[in-house]
Amino acid sequence: MALYFGDLLPYSSLLLEGLWTALYITLVAMLAGSALGVLVYLGKVGPGKPLSILCTCYIEAIRNTPLLVQLYLIYFALPALGINLEPVWAAVIGLTLNNAAYTAEIYRAGFESVPHGLREAGKALGMKPGQIVRYIILLPATRNVFPALTNQLILLFLASSIGSIISLPELTNAIMSVSNTTYRTIEVLAVGGLLYLGVSALMSLASKRAETTLFRWAVGTHV
Amino acid sequence: MIFVENLNKKFGPNHVLKGIDCHIREREVVCVIGPSGSGKSTFLRCMNGLETISSGSIVINKHRLDDSKTNINLVRQEAGMVFQHFNLFPHLKVIDNVMLAPLKVAKTSKEEARAKAEMLLTKVGLAEKMDTFPGNLSGGQMQRVAIARALAMDPKIMLFDEPTSALDPEIVGEVLAVMKDLANEGMTMVVVTHEMGFAREVADRVIFMDQGRIVEEGTPEEIFSSPQHGRTQGFLSKVL
Amino acid sequence: MFRPFEWQDLIPLAQGAWLTIQLCAVSGILGVIFGLILGIARTSPSRIARWISTIYISCVRGIPVLVIIFFVFFGIPLLFPGLEPDKFASAVIALTCFAAAYVAEIVRGSIEAVAKGQSEAADALGLNYWRKLTYVILPQAVKIMVPPGIGFLIGLVKDSSLVTVTGLLELTHAGNIVTNLTGDPIKTFLVVAGMYFVICYGISRLGRLYEKRTGVHVDPLKLPEPAGI
Ligand SMILES: Nc1ncnc2c1ncn2[C@@H]1O[C@H](COP(=O)(O)OP(=O)(O)OP(=O)(O)O)[C@@H](O)[C@H]1O
Ligand SMILES: [Mg+2]
Repeated sequence: MALYFGDLLPYSSLLLEGLWTALYITLVAMLAGSALGVLVYLGKVGPGKPLSILCTCYIEAIRNTPLLVQLYLIYFALPALGINLEPVWAAVIGLTLNNAAYTAEIYRAGFESVPHGLREAGKALGMKPGQIVRYIILLPATRNVFPALTNQLILLFLASSIGSIISLPELTNAIMSVSNTTYRTIEVLAVGGLLYLGVSALMSLASKRAETTLFRWAVGTHV
Repeated sequence: MIFVENLNKKFGPNHVLKGIDCHIREREVVCVIGPSGSGKSTFLRCMNGLETISSGSIVINKHRLDDSKTNINLVRQEAGMVFQHFNLFPHLKVIDNVMLAPLKVAKTSKEEARAKAEMLLTKVGLAEKMDTFPGNLSGGQMQRVAIARALAMDPKIMLFDEPTSALDPEIVGEVLAVMKDLANEGMTMVVVTHEMGFAREVADRVIFMDQGRIVEEGTPEEIFSSPQHGRTQGFLSKVL
Repeated sequence: MFRPFEWQDLIPLAQGAWLTIQLCAVSGILGVIFGLILGIARTSPSRIARWISTIYISCVRGIPVLVIIFFVFFGIPLLFPGLEPDKFASAVIALTCFAAAYVAEIVRGSIEAVAKGQSEAADALGLNYWRKLTYVILPQAVKIMVPPGIGFLIGLVKDSSLVTVTGLLELTHAGNIVTNLTGDPIKTFLVVAGMYFVICYGISRLGRLYEKRTGVHVDPLKLPEPAGI
């Protein structure tokens, strides 16, 4: 069977639009989700017992069920409750809620991995708990979570393809509709796959760059 | 300066300090020695509130540590602490490590804190390392920075918990030299150490601890040359 | 035209869950086999082997599972005319392709972790590469592969929900069908989610048990990146 990519040319803008949608949904869900994740993390480690249990349940529920089922619940189930959501909103909300649970766990691991000795050194200098967190723990913890967070961004970008199943017009959706009109299935899947690959490779490259420039102090240290 | 009376510390069922009585005078250098697990670190950490006291009392410069109304952070400013593993802040340059507490706790001005930090770093022989990050220093240099950091709060007392145990043998000397200078300047010091040579030379008094109790104390001469207690003799025969 | 969600609707869902388990078991085992080969190739002294496995692993990990599924499902019959794997086989192929890449990363990470201290010791004993690998490195590496492997397996179960697009009657698709019958997506998908939860949480409990028994614990931040969301 001969491959021919020429038929795809008229649809290149459709594919790029899909990529754009995937990107901005990823970005919004990453920002909103990692902010919500902070709250979930604080709720989990905070002093309120019921809240802590609730946050743990939330994290476990999200992490042990597929994103697709979560999206279904939001997309198909909410209208039954009288809330009508466009696919874009359902996808953004779903990815955000999903992302919050994962980032909350990343924060927890990050804070736990800061050596206890740093906290003690701060205490021994007479610093208050808030000052210890702000001036001593926060930056090393951020450094520790940074690779995991950028990885989460890439995973989220790839996961945004699941939005196509609830008819979100993102890249995978565009790939399948081009495939359906041109019958150049292999070709368009290859092009689409390369787009995903290229963007995730760029993200990973950028995150490595950012890591070395943001945390220059960490060269030679293992925090 | 430090009065410890019938100090008891329990970790759950584990009774770690069993009735410690001890009085440390101003300008005195006290070395605490003893086998591993005898409670030396715990004793030291109780003295600046890093461990809570189960019963008994500690008074440091008129601050009662066992009184919940005492502001523990004030006490900690008077008792500087140096740890076995340095615990430098990895994200702050050497000078910022030293300046952090003066700026945030004592609220001194930036210029003043900086001048002080420069002075202290020069004193510990690290003036040229001011703008490097701790990750690029050797162990001995890190520990000297840690000492400067503790000194920046103008403590009346310095507590050292095995400050040279994590160091290579050939750089132990540079840290001990800094500590010796400090002792000569009249700093009140409590040093948990395995460096018997240092204890013999610098200490005014040596305390031998075993199984949560002070078994024997006296001048270095008394402890090292004619230990009275069997357990002290046993311990010293192993380490000397 | 709709009827309410009833107890009998649990039957197709349970059947779907069973198919999901079978699907994940088969592709998990195949994924581990190919992943071991890839992971060993990734750390091997042969440059070509390293190159091939690196390219494969990075490609698969940079492309959404869903796209891989489409590739296998639509691509294989087009690329190899006459070869028409059934839905289950396509799903297994797709999930295996993806699983192998993630397992390979876990294998690589574990081999490197062990090799740090042990490789030179083995060299000093004069062991050749294969002996070193089979007698020294792998037996220790396998132990630390288990906790991240558990995480991978949970990811596989969750990602297997995506083969619903091929029409294979696994748990999520069963949920779709029951929804069409009952018109009650809330109840249906809550039950579906509950079933996934039981499977995944069960697997993670097994992992905890292993960590407790062996004392092997892996820092979650140092794991090869988690598979799937
Ligand atoms: N945070 C803690 N929780 C529970 N037990 C502790 C804790 N810290 C110390 N212990 C126990 O208290 C006892 C005394 O410990 P400590 O660290 O004071 O001994 P040490 O004399 O400093 O020993 P080393 O020379 O090894 O440093 C030990 O049995 C130890 O297990
Ligand atoms: Mg100790």
